[in-house]
Formats: sequence, structure tokens, C-alpha cells
Amino acid sequence: MHLDAFAVIALAGAIASALILIWYLVARPQLNRVTKLALLLGIGVFPIATAGSGNYAGFEATKHREFCGSCHVMTPYLEDATDPTSTGLAAIHTRNAQFGEESCYTCHADYGMFGTIVTKMGGMRHVYLYLTEFRNKTLAEAKAEIHILRPFPSSTCRRCHTTSAPKWSEVGDHAALLKELRAGEVGCVGEGCHGPAHPWSKQP
Amino acid sequence: MNKWLRASAVLTLVALAMMVWSVLRPTPLPVMLAMSLGQAVGTAAFGIYGWVVLADLRRIRRDAKRAQELGLAEAAVEAPAAEAAVEAPAAEAAATKPPEPGS
Repeated sequence: MHLDAFAVIALAGAIASALILIWYLVARPQLNRVTKLALLLGIGVFPIATAGSGNYAGFEATKHREFCGSCHVMTPYLEDATDPTSTGLAAIHTRNAQFGEESCYTCHADYGMFGTIVTKMGGMRHVYLYLTEFRNKTLAEAKAEIHILRPFPSSTCRRCHTTSAPKWSEVGDHAALLKELRAGEVGCVGEGCHGPAHPWSKQP
Repeated sequence: MNKWLRASAVLTLVALAMMVWSVLRPTPLPVMLAMSLGQAVGTAAFGIYGWVVLADLRRIRRDAKRAQELGLAEAAVEAPAAEAAVEAPAAEAAATKPPEPGS
């Protein structure tokens, strides 16, 4: 169980609110100014603090690899990413401390101003597909069907792998495809130069 | 009023339970429930509280206004009576006053 500062604030607010509400429900005091004020704290202030910090903690939790792997169809992806002997791109990047526990999110999140929102909406689509299509499928069935919605964008790789580093430009294919890579017309992984991201990603 | 407030308190506890569940066990189902149903239930509970408090304040204001109006009306009724009450002993005193000598 992972508890960060926001989770602690959420729990503290929930406990404070619950104490006030249980007092109100059990003691049944007169509705005077003090009771109204106590209920303002119990129904308004503390729950709002709990919701704000709890939502943030929830959003942070959705970035964790365990969260992504909690649907059974993601088990092979989770196992491969954490396999110290795997040579897939996902595993290599997971072993990088910069990706760490959030390696799925770091590579699969959309970039840009509304990247987080777009990513979460995509996540909701995943939940919908899981509930309607993949929930009762075996791992073998799901593994054969799961595929990335769009070709993996090179802009995601270029967040870390800059196209302006001299060593990067020394590679002939990089130099030849510089314009296309920067324009997002050619991907680093999808077109076949790098990868597979997951060991079975490029199997027909 | 109290019935609604109790309902609001129970709804808040339900919403808080969902949020605590999502914090302690951050898997898809609890997190989604807390962020959708939990938010809706909590907001509804706070809405009920706001409505009850607003209604109570309006009732207090209405009662105060009515009391003020009644107070003015009573004062209007009581004022002539009080005057009469003051005048009556004076008239009575005048009536029972013995005639002045030599009148």
C-alpha cells in the first residue's frame, strides 16, 4: 500500500468528518448555530479536503505500474516490464530510475497541455473495453487481441532522446529521417528500427 | 429538517467510505467509484445540507418578520387600551372627587 502526503490528508479529513457526523447521528443535538457549524465542517469542509486530496492521490495511483497491471490481461506486460532479464524496450526503460514505478504511464501518456486528461480518457476507454470484451478472456486470447490503438508516437521517445544530440545524429538512419521524425511521420518503435516494446509486440 | 440533515450525514459517510477505500486500495474499481459515484453522493449530501441551512435561515427570518409585524399590531391594539387604562382612573377620581367648599 502506497500512502503519500495527499493520501494522509485525505484519510485525516475523512476521520475528522466521520467523527463529527457520527456524533450528530448518535447524539441528535438541537439544530442551533453550533450544530450547523459542526455540520459545515463535517459535511462541507473536511469532505471537500478529503475529496481534493483523495482525487489527487487517486490520479497519482493510476500512474503506478501495479495499477495498470491490476487487470488480468495486463499480467504479461507487467511481468515482462519487471523481468530483470528481459530485453524488451519496456523492461529496459522500467529498469531506468527515471521511469521507475511509473514506466507504463511515462511511455503511454499523451504529451501536451491536456495530455493528462486525454490519457485518463483513454484509460476510461480501456476500462470499458475490459468490462465489455476482455474481462472473461484468457490471457492467451487477450494477448493475441490487445494492440496499441495508434502507432507509438516518436514525440514520446523524443522527450528524453533528443534529436539534437551529436551522438544521435551520428547514426545514419537518424540523420536521414530527422525531418520525418521531428514531424511525427516516422516512429521510433512502430516502424521497426527499435523495439519490440514488449517481446510479443511485433509478432504478426 | 433534521431528517434531511441525517440523510445528508449518512450520504457524506458513504461518499467518504468510497474515498477512503480508493486511497487504501488504489485499484481501478475503488478509484473509479470514488471519482464518479463518490463525488456525486458527496456533492448531493453537501447540497442537501446547504438547502436545509438556507431553508432554516429563511424560516428564522420569516418568523422574526412575523413577530415584528405581530408586535407592531399588538402595540397598536394595546396603545389605546393603555391610554384608556390611564384615563379611566383619572375620570373615576374626578367623579368621586368631593365638591370643593364654596362651590
